[in-house]
Formats: sequence, C-alpha cells, structure tokens
Amino acid sequence: MPETASDPKTSLPLTPAAFHIMLVLADGENHGYAIMREVAENTQGKMRLGPGSLYGTIKRMLADGWIEETDERPDPQLDDERRRYYRLTGVGRKLVQAEAERLEQLVNIARGKKLLRNPRSV
Amino acid sequence: MQVYRALLVAYPKAFREHYETQMVQVFRDSTREAYHHGGMSGVIDLWLHTFADLVVTALMERIMERSQYMFSPKVILWGGLASVFGGLCWIFAGLSTNSNSLAALVLALVLGLGGLVGLYSRQAGQGGGLGLAGFVWGILGTGLAIAALWWGSVRFAPPIPILLLAMPLAVLGVGTVLLGVTSLRGNALHRWRGLPLGLGLLNTLAGMTFLLMFYLSLSQGQNPWDAWSLIGGHVIRPAVLVPQVLSVLLGVGWMGLGILLATETNAQVAQPPEALAETR
Repeated sequence: MPETASDPKTSLPLTPAAFHIMLVLADGENHGYAIMREVAENTQGKMRLGPGSLYGTIKRMLADGWIEETDERPDPQLDDERRRYYRLTGVGRKLVQAEAERLEQLVNIARGKKLLRNPRSV
Repeated sequence: MQVYRALLVAYPKAFREHYETQMVQVFRDSTREAYHHGGMSGVIDLWLHTFADLVVTALMERIMERSQYMFSPKVILWGGLASVFGGLCWIFAGLSTNSNSLAALVLALVLGLGGLVGLYSRQAGQGGGLGLAGFVWGILGTGLAIAALWWGSVRFAPPIPILLLAMPLAVLGVGTVLLGVTSLRGNALHRWRGLPLGLGLLNTLAGMTFLLMFYLSLSQGQNPWDAWSLIGGHVIRPAVLVPQVLSVLLGVGWMGLGILLATETNAQVAQPPEALAETR
C-alpha cells in the first residue's frame, strides 16, 4: 500500500486498539503475539486484544497504509518463520504522533480544570 | 487448538485465508502463557475472552465484507437505472389525474431507494458518519412516505394521501441533502456535482410546501381545496396543481440523478481517501 501525503489529522481520532498497536510499533517492528502482550502490559491488563481484534485492526491499518509487513526478523535463528512482522510506515508515524498530541491537549485541558493532579506534584 | 481453528470459520473466507495461521499461533502462545500464570482457570478465562472477541470481530468482518459489495459498480448502475424509472413514475404521477397516481407514487418511492443506494455506494464510504446518516435518513423518509400513502389511501380520498407525504418527503429530503453534501465534499461525482444536493433541497421544499399550503389555508379559515379564480376566467386548485408541479420537478431530479449514477459507475469507486488524495 503506497504511502500518501494526505493530512493524518483527517484520520483522527484513532480507535484505542489502533493507537495502542501503533504505540508498540513506534519502538520498532514486531509480531502479533508480542504486540498483544505489550499492549496488555502498557495498559496494566485493561486492554486485552483477542486474536480477532488484533488481526482485524492490523488488516485495516495495512489497507490504510499506516503499517506494513516486513521480511526482516530480529533473530531468524530463534524465531518461528511463520510469524509476520509489522512496522509503522511514515504516514503511520505521523498519525500516531498527531493522536498523541491530540490526547496531550485533552489532558492539558483536564489539568487546567483541576481534574488531574499536576505531574510535578505526583 | 483444533476447536479454535474450527471456530474461525465464522470469519469471511478472505480474512481466514490471510490470518488463520497467525491467529491460531497467537492463541496457542496465549494459552501457554495463561496456563503458566493461572493454571486451568487462566485458560478458561482466556477462552471466554477469546470467544467473545471472536463473535464480535467475526460479525464486524462479515458486515465489512458485505459493505464492500455495496460499493461495487454494479450496485451503482442498477441504483441509477432504478432512479431513472423512479423519476418517470414521479412525472407520471404528477401528470396523471386518476387513482393510478398513488400507485405510481409508491413505485417512484421504492425505485428512488435505488437512487439513494447508488449515491451512497458512489461515495465508497468516504461520506463517513454524515453520509451514513443521510442514507439511513433517506431510507427512513421513504419508508414513512410509503406507509403514509398506504394509510392515507385506505382512509381518505385523493388528494389527501398526497398531503400526508409532507413530513416523510421532508425527511427523505434531509437525508438526500446530507448525501448531497458528502458527495460534494468528497468529490464523489464528476459532473452535475450539485445535483444530489439540489434534489434533496427540492424534496425538502416539496414536503414543506405541502405542509404550508395546508397550514396557511386552515389558519385563514379557508378550505385548502378551494379553487382560485385567475384573470381571464381560469380556475386553478393549488392543492392539486402544486403537488403535480412538484411531482414533475422531483421526477426530473430523480431521473437526472439516475442518469448521472448509471453513467459514472467505474471512476473512483471503492478507493480509500488516501488513494483519492494521490490521484488529485
């Protein structure tokens, strides 16, 4: 799927599943099971992606050109060759940045209304 | 594991072909980890969670597969042709003075659904929530209009059933306006881009005109069916003439939309917004 120059902000907000998967892939390429585990860890188990949610979201992100499959493997000797690895595309990286900024703005608003503690006082 | 693999038949074939191996592998790894950390209760918890996930996502994938079919050129072509014949029925109903006009109106509304489906399909999902709302609103208006005509024709003599169309026609109009706006915004059509919006406004205007005619006449103590005398001795009945004129105009509009859809079935169909952005 070719990358495009369209404004990533038109695709916001992202679904929680897509955002969490892209956050994991922001560190580098990874395979489905590792993505699922890291999402669960990052959310303290609050978001548990089942195989259907995981690959359904991956399918849509591949179609939209936000992520892509890669043939490179961190360690081909140890890894199961049937695993598929995914990584962010340029568009995907811009998109996850834009979503993070959008959420940061919301958090700042909530903080301004004293709905959140100031991070310095935590 | 074999049970889980068998359950994957709930997903569409194309999805299964592409992701079955990965999903089974992920589930196998998850089961191993769940057993390691939680024993049998961990495995049962994983099964419950995975089964619920499977039901919801398989349904979603099936719906999405169907909606892809909906965005096919064939649907747009047939929708366009239905709209052309629907337009002819509107014109026939407008020009006809006998009881056949009611049947023609019902047929026009049913065939007009083809126009709505074709227009929605032509947008290939680019209309987003607004386009979907317009589509649903249009179908709702059409359904209400058919129900109003049926109920009115059973209870009242013509042309009262036609006046009962007022609100449903306005609802259909609002739906078509929304579809017209999303068509314009997404550049879904190459020619006559404002036509769906104009048709929606005309539908809304027709509905509001029927209402106003009734309301104004009654509020001034006049019978809506009274004839008006014109200069030269001519006599007209606005309650009959106005719906007839509007019906002919709507017929021209629906025919125009049908011709437009039937002749623009292939270009830019089912392309995601990113692909469209590239082609511009």
